[in-house]
Amino acid sequence: MKLAYYPGCVAQGSGRELDMATRWVCRALGIELVEFPTFSCCGSGFIDEANEVLNVALNARNLAIAEKAGLDLLTVCSTCTGMLTLANLRLTDPTVKARVEGALKPLGIEYRGSTKVKHLLRVLTEDIGVDAIRAKVVRPLGGLKVGAFYGCHLLRPADELHWESAEEPHAFEDLLTAIGATPVYYRGRVMCCGFPIQFVKPETGSRIAGRQIDDAKAHGADAMATPCPLCHVSLDAYQNQAEKAVGHDLDMPIFHLPQVVGLALGATPEDLGLARHIVPTGPAIAKIRPPARA
Amino acid sequence: MTETTVKATFDIYRFEPGRDAKPRYQRFVLDLPPHTPVLTALLKIRDGSDPSLTLRYSCRGAICGSCAMQINSKSRLACQTPIGPELERDGRIVIEPMRNQPVLRDLVVEQESFWRQYDKIEPHLILDPRKPMPEGRENPMTTQEVDRFKETPRCIACAACFSACPAVEADAGFPGPMALAKLYRFVVDPRDQGHQDRLVRIQTEGLWLCLRCHLCTEACPKDVRPSERIRDLKEMAIAAQGGTEHGSKHAIGFKDNIRERGLINESKLVRQTSGLLGLAGQATQGLRMIRKKPEILKSPHRIDGLDEVEKIYQALDDVPEGKS
Repeated sequence: MKLAYYPGCVAQGSGRELDMATRWVCRALGIELVEFPTFSCCGSGFIDEANEVLNVALNARNLAIAEKAGLDLLTVCSTCTGMLTLANLRLTDPTVKARVEGALKPLGIEYRGSTKVKHLLRVLTEDIGVDAIRAKVVRPLGGLKVGAFYGCHLLRPADELHWESAEEPHAFEDLLTAIGATPVYYRGRVMCCGFPIQFVKPETGSRIAGRQIDDAKAHGADAMATPCPLCHVSLDAYQNQAEKAVGHDLDMPIFHLPQVVGLALGATPEDLGLARHIVPTGPAIAKIRPPARA
Repeated sequence: MTETTVKATFDIYRFEPGRDAKPRYQRFVLDLPPHTPVLTALLKIRDGSDPSLTLRYSCRGAICGSCAMQINSKSRLACQTPIGPELERDGRIVIEPMRNQPVLRDLVVEQESFWRQYDKIEPHLILDPRKPMPEGRENPMTTQEVDRFKETPRCIACAACFSACPAVEADAGFPGPMALAKLYRFVVDPRDQGHQDRLVRIQTEGLWLCLRCHLCTEACPKDVRPSERIRDLKEMAIAAQGGTEHGSKHAIGFKDNIRERGLINESKLVRQTSGLLGLAGQATQGLRMIRKKPEILKSPHRIDGLDEVEKIYQALDDVPEGKS
């Protein structure tokens, strides 16, 4: 299958390992990524706080680029997914649509509203399918207990995103099972990572991050995995702040979604940029046990 | 004709602070039709098995907002939640008091903090004494003016959103989703003469602590959509006063940052939002990041077609609202 690849800002910046892992996994699964150097930032839930119509227009431009190429959009970030999907929805409001069109038309940009926004998790579980992925596993992650951490904007508002249940999602856990890992169910898996206020009030943001990591740990997780690079920043890069906020060590390795899939499909830690993490992933990888011979 | 029933297992949180050393869960098993509301089941348990089970309720029809509690970890109205789907999904129904408020007994919580936050937003029309309302007649609103309230008048103050909110859990300075949704309702009320002051005040009183995680919108039994109205408030606060707090500075800084290259310039954004002192506070953090991820020091490339992005900004951001 062929998709317009929308990496988002973080995967092109401090989260480059997410981009590496995405490319590796897509290559392994025969997903062709078409790149557009014209894509701009999704707004990240910040631009719309200052100017919502501007944000919708910027995303209408992004969506129009994919529409013109006749491709659906592949995202690798929960927030990009939410912002681009909601832009499609906001454009159904005639007032918003008129203002956006007023800005885009002079540029020769027309968006008819047909671009579907698909996060990698959705492509893997719906388009490729967990059975097809299971069939390609060369190194099942047996022995590794992983707490999926979805990221708010992949799930909510559920009545606007039309995907999984916001409260009881299971796509990520199904995928973890398919690659041989043991999914860990905990309340925090659908909670907030604290990232949006890391710049507003870091100690509160980090307390929230720390609570979710604590929750995953209390339910036995050896590692967490997230489909959102912003969650990754809050949970991995700022984990030392989270430790300060909750008052104890956390030592929780945080994988990006395509990194856990890549490991099972035979990628090396170098392929997946694991050395770039702030919290070492080695202790989690050391827990993977080769399958018992039948 | 007998109605089909299901075997319903309830594990109910029981706790009386001061008497019990710690909370316990008490199991009750009943045969009930699957459409039975959780509240009806709880009242059957109380009246039939254990009269000491303590809970709040009144109207039984999702109007009074008294019976909010956690049902299988989700903040819900008990009167509005049928047992069937809960049992189908989880095999049992765990009943706990709401979160983020101290337990008085069993399922009843002390709601002082919730109501104090509500009180702080001044939930009444503020009138300018120099511009009194016309005496002896009503102040009719147009349909368009009423539409601006969106779904906020539906709020029944059940506190399900307050219970579900991670910002409330982590920071006592956050007013909570309900108080902010109510604030929105007064800010857009054409009869209210205090909305400018309200917007200025809320910037320093917790508005920017909203995580926009939408857990409140998911929990709300009346579809008030507090997270979306909080976003509206943020945009209105910036329009009223510009960037005065970390949160509003960050939103404006982010918007301007994207205009320069089309993609986020991470290190510049931190400088813009936090200022030099803030940056010093994050120095250790910064050094750790730089070691593993040296590219955060570099500005991102400029996207192709940046001129288009610039023209969109000119059309929709440079022109004052309403004149584009």
